[in-house]
Amino acid sequence: MKFQFDNFSHLLNMDGHGAYVWAAVAVTVLLMTWLIINPLLQRRDVFEEIAREVSREQLRQDASREGA
Amino acid sequence: MNWNWFYRMGSPRWFYETTSRWLPWLGALTFILLVGGLVWGLAFAPQDAKQGNSFRIIYLHVPASFLALAGYFLMAAAGAIGLIWKMKLSYMVMKCAAPLGAVLTFLALFTGAVWGKPTWGSYWVWDARVTSMLILLFLYLGVLALQYAFNSKDVGNKASAILALVGTVNIPIIYKSVDWWFTLHQPATITFTQAPSMHPAMFQPLLVMILGFYCFYAVALILSVRVEILARERKTSWVRERVKQAAQNSLGATL
Repeated sequence: MKFQFDNFSHLLNMDGHGAYVWAAVAVTVLLMTWLIINPLLQRRDVFEEIAREVSREQLRQDASREGA
Repeated sequence: MNWNWFYRMGSPRWFYETTSRWLPWLGALTFILLVGGLVWGLAFAPQDAKQGNSFRIIYLHVPASFLALAGYFLMAAAGAIGLIWKMKLSYMVMKCAAPLGAVLTFLALFTGAVWGKPTWGSYWVWDARVTSMLILLFLYLGVLALQYAFNSKDVGNKASAILALVGTVNIPIIYKSVDWWFTLHQPATITFTQAPSMHPAMFQPLLVMILGFYCFYAVALILSVRVEILARERKTSWVRERVKQAAQNSLGATL
């Protein structure tokens, strides 16, 4: 196995095909990262929502106990 | 025959707890395969005699296309299981597979377009393979949209599942399009029946990337099914227990 390019700028340029190859890489990496990040953010939102619901129910219970 | 395993598999809680144990390992494996395969393919695989360096796009294009097709089968199968056994978890898998598949199909089309420009001289051709992939994208979007087209979630699930099943007719058309019609798209590099039409030095990194994409698909699907489970089972005590634990250690709440 051998590194196929002379230097870093050759790797970027890829004999004129660099723009196509790196555009494909950039869009793929971007979208695939989003596919992982998005559910993680949603999960955090759902956790926070449920935590709020729980504390609201707690308050209601406490209030009704005091009323009685 | 004992069907207990089947029903246990349909339990959202069982799914959530099992995947909690698997995810870190699967995630690490995915990362290693994808980064390793990409560096190998982009910088160390020999360049193609005819296409030069533009052929390196194959390391993204072929795995994305594989998963776009395999993901459709999975989505349709999940829809069928939902229709037959009325399994909640199965519909959740179907629902989460739709946007995931749509993104992968888009990636297959996009990487194909930027590969087509230096190779065919055009970003887009109305060729049998390319057009049938575009139809696949619309099928995914249709399944996604039908979920929200009805007031009742149940009706939406059933309608999406039926569309997904009917759409499977497109999959063999995509596979066979390069053989059935005269097309610009090159024939399949990897088939079940023959040795790959590629030098091993080029083929090995491709195999790593395909494995990496399969693992990635599993991770992304599991992550979004877990969110779906949490949202739908929010009233249950096991979910509330999880939320309490996460609130206690703030790391769990951010991750």
